[in-house]
Amino acid sequence: MADLINVIENWLNKLLLGWGASPGLTQFILQALGSVLVVLICFMIVIALIWVERKLAGRIQDRFGPNRAGPFGIFQSFADIIKIFTKEYITPQGADKVTFNIAPVLAIASVLAIWAVFPFASNVIGADVNVGVLYIVAIGSFGILAILMAGWSSNNRYALLGASRSVAMLISYEIPMVVSLLIPVLLAHSMKLSAIIDTQRPWWFILVVPTAALIFLISSMAEIGKAPFDLLEAESELVAGYHTEYSGMKFGMFYVAEFLHQFTVGALITIFFLGGWTGPMAAHWPILGVIYFFGKAFLVYLVISWIRLSLPRIRIDEMLNLNWKFLIPVSFINLIGVAVADRILLDLEPPRWLYVAVMFVLNMLILLVALYLSGKSQPALEVEEFPHRPVAVSPRTEKSSS
Amino acid sequence: MNEETKVLESFETAVLERFPDWVTPDEREGYQGLLVDPANLIDLMSSLRDELGYDHLTSLTGVDYLPDEKMEVVYHLVKSTGGPILEIKTQLPRSNPVAPSLVGLYPGAAFQEREAWDLLGIKFDGHPNLKRILMWEGFAGHPLRKDWVEAYHGEEKKPYDDRWPEGKARKIEADNPYRENVSYPEGFNPETWIPDTQELLFEGSQRFQLDDDLETEQLVVNLGPQHPSTHGVFRMVAKLEGETVVDLEPVMGYLHRNHEKIGEKNTFAMNMPYTDRLDYFCSMSNNFGYALTVEKLLGENYQPPERAQYIRVIMAELTRVLNHFMAIGFFLNDLGAYFTPALYTIKERELILDIFEAVAGSRMMCNYYRFGGVVRDLPEGMEEHIRKLVYERLPRQIDELDRYLVENEIVVARGRGVGVLTPEQAIGLSAAGPVLRASGVPYDIRRADPYSIYDRFDFDVAVRYHGDVYDRFLIRYDEIRQSIRILQQAIDGIPKGEVLANKKAYKYKMPKGEAYGRVEGPKGELGYYVVSDGTDNPWRYHVRAPSFINLTGLKQMCLGEKVADLVAILGSIDIVLGEVDR
Repeated sequence: MADLINVIENWLNKLLLGWGASPGLTQFILQALGSVLVVLICFMIVIALIWVERKLAGRIQDRFGPNRAGPFGIFQSFADIIKIFTKEYITPQGADKVTFNIAPVLAIASVLAIWAVFPFASNVIGADVNVGVLYIVAIGSFGILAILMAGWSSNNRYALLGASRSVAMLISYEIPMVVSLLIPVLLAHSMKLSAIIDTQRPWWFILVVPTAALIFLISSMAEIGKAPFDLLEAESELVAGYHTEYSGMKFGMFYVAEFLHQFTVGALITIFFLGGWTGPMAAHWPILGVIYFFGKAFLVYLVISWIRLSLPRIRIDEMLNLNWKFLIPVSFINLIGVAVADRILLDLEPPRWLYVAVMFVLNMLILLVALYLSGKSQPALEVEEFPHRPVAVSPRTEKSSS
Repeated sequence: MNEETKVLESFETAVLERFPDWVTPDEREGYQGLLVDPANLIDLMSSLRDELGYDHLTSLTGVDYLPDEKMEVVYHLVKSTGGPILEIKTQLPRSNPVAPSLVGLYPGAAFQEREAWDLLGIKFDGHPNLKRILMWEGFAGHPLRKDWVEAYHGEEKKPYDDRWPEGKARKIEADNPYRENVSYPEGFNPETWIPDTQELLFEGSQRFQLDDDLETEQLVVNLGPQHPSTHGVFRMVAKLEGETVVDLEPVMGYLHRNHEKIGEKNTFAMNMPYTDRLDYFCSMSNNFGYALTVEKLLGENYQPPERAQYIRVIMAELTRVLNHFMAIGFFLNDLGAYFTPALYTIKERELILDIFEAVAGSRMMCNYYRFGGVVRDLPEGMEEHIRKLVYERLPRQIDELDRYLVENEIVVARGRGVGVLTPEQAIGLSAAGPVLRASGVPYDIRRADPYSIYDRFDFDVAVRYHGDVYDRFLIRYDEIRQSIRILQQAIDGIPKGEVLANKKAYKYKMPKGEAYGRVEGPKGELGYYVVSDGTDNPWRYHVRAPSFINLTGLKQMCLGEKVADLVAILGSIDIVLGEVDR
């Protein structure tokens, strides 16, 4: 019973082979079944996430959140799903219809495709490709395409503005994200996700390279366009940004993709920095690994939501400044520093704990120096102070007071 | 003759002595101020501004004197260093009312002159953009002219007897069937008409050179009227160069209901609940201004008793606290903070609304003030309740908001140096209230021209010296703190006694005359100009709406900023469309 998923897989495999299917066909059927299962799990998670997010938002904002449909409002998402299915699909007259309709599909597909390579437990892996990191980066960028397509094809100025912002933003934030992803790859000497996770036992990479983890968190928050980086759908400026013109389920798909993307970022941080499925007893009981994996991803998800609910939005120029003048240099210096230290330590062969301690100190040092320098080099904002005038008073009060 | 009129007279005599050839005192019964010939208006105004220091044109409006066949333009000027209002009037022939435009001298006259043209049909010679502002172009006539009547016109003034023939209600609209009650100006075809702003929208996609090798396209974005950040149905047509605003045209009037025309049909007392709907967050302040103005007309017998004075001040200051809490919260919302700060500030607002509900019976549309006092006394235990709120809860909460929001790096980065208005610009653009004070002009009517019992309280005029979005945000904290100081003094000093100087009445015996009363509303100077011809209904009823006039400076603040700043700037002005469109 320890390895539930593989037990089922083996049973199905034998059953199909027993029915006379060829091994190739059996493999295909099992993989297709697996993909469908992952997609279904993803959608189920989103339904739960929407409720959690709204409840959390309610609590952070000093109100109740959904509490009408079912106990604690847990059926609220189902009510919303029914509502969104019954709404009219509107395609604007001037829209490029094909692109307009493909965009939401692409938005969801780009997120779901990332899930194909996730190792959920020690032996539950969709596809353990040996260039897993490369795959994630490549597929993850498809989301941008979906946003651009949606914004362009809507024939709406808000949408266009949102899309053009998103391109400027996402392309630049891709750089620190990829560079900070290189660090786990460097430490694990592999691009394979399972190998990266194996290297993190027992020291998670967040303890080894905290700066890389922080940069990855910030840049992936920008990638998914969550506050304070939600410029692509900046509600108060651009109404809804790139998906202004979408309605019904097409809008729903963007909405789901957004939630799923946020959860995916949680999963990525879990894999690269929080040790993936590792945890007490997880090696023996793979089903525990799945729970640990989703639990960690969920925690990161909540942290992102918390940040989103607490901070106002920054302006596009400030955001690009943050990226080009801070994140990118720091991430490159960090990469170089880690690479050099890793090479030196490889020869010295210190105990693992010393290795971790040296890396940790190095990372923190780089971060602190960078913060200090950026605080120092940033010119104090020059704002003209107007001359002080005397307070305007009535001659009547002057007389009575004197 | 009280002290106030003495000071006012001395101000007027100073002007009379200085310009004996140009001005004559207005000697009609119940009128004050000075009359000037339109030919001398510009010279007089520029001398007043440059020599005598009347640099702030607070209000500009017109009156239609149909029986005399005259139109009158009324200017209210103040010195930005304090003191009472100086009223200048110029009379025009009703057949062709043309006055010289003051936009060159006082840029703040721009919207007000457009409004006077729109509603009264007074032309302003030399105005750069004299077109309708609250009405649309397809509106026939000028509604505030006394000979203009609406389609289902029954009786001249309220109460309408013909709507209740033999005690039964009858809909007068039934006499005007649908489609027959619309008229358009000559040569106007609604089917082929394209609004000016619409043309601007489409003209946007012409290419032009930014510098030598970069060719870009301008994009015209229409923010509003249905837009989450415009706080209502306000519209900004912004021409963008990338993300930078290169031109901006505010369009308003979507919520226009001609408050002033309604006001002229109502009796004086009937208008009180209508004022609630101007700035619907601050109905108490609106009531206050109207009550003060009509009390000026009614004379000494209607001076409110002590207790009523205190209650009025308490309610007005609570309104200010409430409004600024909302302004802070929704400003953060405009910056993109996803409602979290807004909901915390709304929580405090609800506590104040509880008080309003207890004293007035309604949370937002209070209708609490009366001529000569307030409608009823505070309920049992309310003083203690307010004391607790202003001594414990509100100071603590404003400190908490301060801790979380003021030092926030994103707020500072978004607000510092954005949308700057210099003191000279702010005065010239007739800005008032927090917008004016954030630009380094410590002008607060409660000090500069005290009304009610504000001269008894000890408080500082909040002022900030950078004139940017961040300062306009901070000044609201300062003002809440000062208001809490006033509230603490008021709740400690409130005496026992009557709350209404006279009997409750439906109709008042109004003497002939005019009055301009103003209060420091939460959003700025809220002024009422009322003319009475001795009947039960006002002959002219004009509201100087602070949000409306503060918007005059919007374009000035927005040019060269980013689209995102546009929203922040509008949020920092803090407008309410009920008041802008009236």
